[in-house]
Amino acid sequence: MSVPAPPAGAAPPGPALQVEQLTKHFGGVNAVTDCSFAAPRHRVTGLIGPNGAGKSTAIDCISGFKRPDAGMVLFGDRAITGLPPHRIARLGLVRTFQTPREWPQLTVMENLILSRYQPRREGLWRGMLRGGHVADQAELAQVREVLDQFGLLGLRNERAGNLSGGQKRLVEFARIRIAEPELVILDEPMGGVNPVLGERMAAAIETLVAHGAAVVLVEHNLPFIERVTQHVVVMAHGAVIAAGPFEAIRSDRAVIDAYLGTQRTDDA
Amino acid sequence: MRAAPPPGGGASRYAAADRGQASFPNTPGPEHGRWVINEVLLTLGFGLVSAAILSLSAVGFSLEYAVTNIANLSHGEILTVGAYAAYLVQRQTGSLLAAAIAAALAGGCLALAVHTTVIERFVSRGTPRMSIFIATLGLSFVIQNALVIIFGATNVAYSIPQGAPRHIGPFLWTPTEITILASAVAITAALYGIIHHTKFGKALRAVSQNRDLARVTGIHARRIAAATWFLAGLVAGYAGFVLAESVGTFNPYFGFSFFLITLAAAVAGGLGKAFSTMAGAVLVGIALQFTGAYVSSSYELAFAFAILALVILVRPRGLFSRGRLSVFE
Amino acid sequence: MSQYLVSVLTEGSIFTVMALGLNVIWGWGGDFDLAFYGYVALGAYMTLVLTIGRAVPPAEFILGLQLPYPLAVLLGALAAGLMGLVVGLIALRHLRGIYFSIVTLGAVYVLYVLAGQYVPLFDGYNGVSGLFDPMGSTFGLTYQTYQYFFLGLCIAVAVVVFLLLERLSGSRFGLALRSTREDERATAAFGRNIYWLKLRGYVLGAVVGGLAGGLFAGYLTAFNPSAWSPIETIVVYASILVGGKGNGRGVVLGVFLIAVLLQESTRFLPQVPNNPELVLALREMVIGLVLIAFIRLRPQGLLPERRHLDREGGPGTGGPPPLGAGASHAAPQVGSAEPDAS
Repeated sequence: MSVPAPPAGAAPPGPALQVEQLTKHFGGVNAVTDCSFAAPRHRVTGLIGPNGAGKSTAIDCISGFKRPDAGMVLFGDRAITGLPPHRIARLGLVRTFQTPREWPQLTVMENLILSRYQPRREGLWRGMLRGGHVADQAELAQVREVLDQFGLLGLRNERAGNLSGGQKRLVEFARIRIAEPELVILDEPMGGVNPVLGERMAAAIETLVAHGAAVVLVEHNLPFIERVTQHVVVMAHGAVIAAGPFEAIRSDRAVIDAYLGTQRTDDA
Repeated sequence: MRAAPPPGGGASRYAAADRGQASFPNTPGPEHGRWVINEVLLTLGFGLVSAAILSLSAVGFSLEYAVTNIANLSHGEILTVGAYAAYLVQRQTGSLLAAAIAAALAGGCLALAVHTTVIERFVSRGTPRMSIFIATLGLSFVIQNALVIIFGATNVAYSIPQGAPRHIGPFLWTPTEITILASAVAITAALYGIIHHTKFGKALRAVSQNRDLARVTGIHARRIAAATWFLAGLVAGYAGFVLAESVGTFNPYFGFSFFLITLAAAVAGGLGKAFSTMAGAVLVGIALQFTGAYVSSSYELAFAFAILALVILVRPRGLFSRGRLSVFE
Repeated sequence: MSQYLVSVLTEGSIFTVMALGLNVIWGWGGDFDLAFYGYVALGAYMTLVLTIGRAVPPAEFILGLQLPYPLAVLLGALAAGLMGLVVGLIALRHLRGIYFSIVTLGAVYVLYVLAGQYVPLFDGYNGVSGLFDPMGSTFGLTYQTYQYFFLGLCIAVAVVVFLLLERLSGSRFGLALRSTREDERATAAFGRNIYWLKLRGYVLGAVVGGLAGGLFAGYLTAFNPSAWSPIETIVVYASILVGGKGNGRGVVLGVFLIAVLLQESTRFLPQVPNNPELVLALREMVIGLVLIAFIRLRPQGLLPERRHLDREGGPGTGGPPPLGAGASHAAPQVGSAEPDAS
């Protein structure tokens, strides 16, 4: 896939996300041990690995939903290890979840509006005394535009919970777009989605990058990974076992062993 | 305005602590170290009795929670119904044994009825847990008030001679209390045996861990849940009888009030695992006895919840359980 | 207007304020708070001890000032808010669902026991009494006209509270708070401190509850632990559930149906001689049954929470029906399972 050019004006050097020796134990599965990788700016980084490799736990630790036992997470040049999730989100790191987590009783429009945190507008006193506008005209117009681009404009007044699985995923992307993050972590976005929508999904991811975000994509669907990413990180048994472009990863012995779980003899 | 009497009806299990205090010698301060130890042991002894009743009540609650994942707020009513059933039978036959059996059976039947007509219907429809929880609160009111309609709100009492207290080692117990302790231990042992050494118990544990998975392995989850609720009701009904025995008088609200302490103990110990709940109940029962002996026994409910608040703050999952409680982890 | 009607409407207005406050905590925040009636009670108690002057022995209670009634009510509401802050700080930190409810139940019972047992506080089971016709002398009202005045006051307060909360509901704060009910993780993932959000909502609810309590004190002229039993909480919850959880108008409707109509309809039943509690028990039982029935059949209430529609902006206003759902405009999502957010 073509690599989108970085936006004009030199981006600051250094990866968007740097994870160093992340460790998390539960006394059970999904432990993460000494996980280290970097996600470059303006690129899509895939995070793959067999089930139980610790990908979701790593994501939870990075995004603040779990507290790592050891290790460091650098977002840009800022250490975010152990910060609560809302603080990390405000710094510009947004993530999705394995199942789409919209706010079901709220309308699609409200779901989008709420995706941008507006510290000055969300106070209790302001809400009660200054009048109950959820968003000003400019913001509403922008939201409608984004909805239109995703083909969701006609559904904007529906309760988000009533949408189909694929539509919910689109809403998710729309919400991310509104949030204008610097880094997006997508946790298995193709899950439960008709493969036919794969193109649309890829296009949505590319648009995110075009708007200046770096993307970390956790997926099982390897062809999709191949199509969309420029850099791939492989995890197994809680640690990173390989990193590099997909072609290199694909033939890496350690990666193959991890997926197949057996020692392969050379059969050429 | 709305002149409903305060819950608890004034009669409290822990008022019995006053009786114990009357038998303490009135010496100001210990003359020998032995007096202090005696006092402590005596209080411990009374605490064990309270703890026994509390743990019987709590384990029933915990079993219900384990198989349906519902905190049954009408659990206290099972105790009340057991107490009333025993009252009716004891009045007719004069036999304590018959009364105890009647209490257990009444409790079992009520629990089974609640499960089948309300709980299971909601669970199978996919109603969210919190809604069912609220519904059990409504159910609690329905049962309490049904009892008021049938029996009236005034206190009733068993006509059972308590017997003189006697010393068993360092403890001072009446024959009734000895029976309570002994039966509590026996029931606990029986439950342990059932849960860990029978096929039914195995199925119970499977359903409580993962209902769908249990179904896949051929376990009839609904039947197991119903049977477990019946079992829980048996224990709770008996607990109600025993509680009414030791308190003396009771009314339709007394089970609910005692249940609140049970609830505090169960949550503090950890919901869902029968024996961690019981451990919590024992601890709370003993702790309450001590605070009751040295402060004032009428604050027991406040203390129970203060203990709970403390536990929640320090260890949100409960003292003994390994369940997950906090928002994200 | 007859005396009876005036008192029913006054009580109804006070209950409306109460229910609107609880609606913030439960309807918007999604937390089943069992401590709520404690805030009402604290508001009532504080209003009383701030207006009736020094305690005359053998009665004893704290404070005993003689402040003007409106000021006392406000202070009572603030006191309730303070208690709400303490409870909320503890309970909202780690707990949700059943555990939250149980801990809040514990908190209110501690207060209940303290109020009843610790006599120096509010004179134990005797309670505090003596608030006759607050503000009546200021306006030179007779006993007769006072009833109308107080009714007007309560209605005015109810209307103001209703309007302010409706406005808050349509604001960004209201939207954010409702989102915590829907899916907390997502709310956090989009930058909101859910603990702080919920806490603010909780304290607001407590303050409104305390406000209702202050009005209640003026209406009852007294307050004691026997006016304070679990059934009161159930009545308020049933009102919100039946009328429409999360919907201000629904709450008003629910209060009218449950707290007013249901309560008053049983008032005229004859008393059964050897069971004086029977009518009361019957009423409570019916409320319990109504609660269960509505949870089963109509959990969103008669007037479900409305969507805020976006009317501007081109084609698709109103939109095609959602795929496979066929929901009407005002109905929540179709299907037996609600989002886990009661």
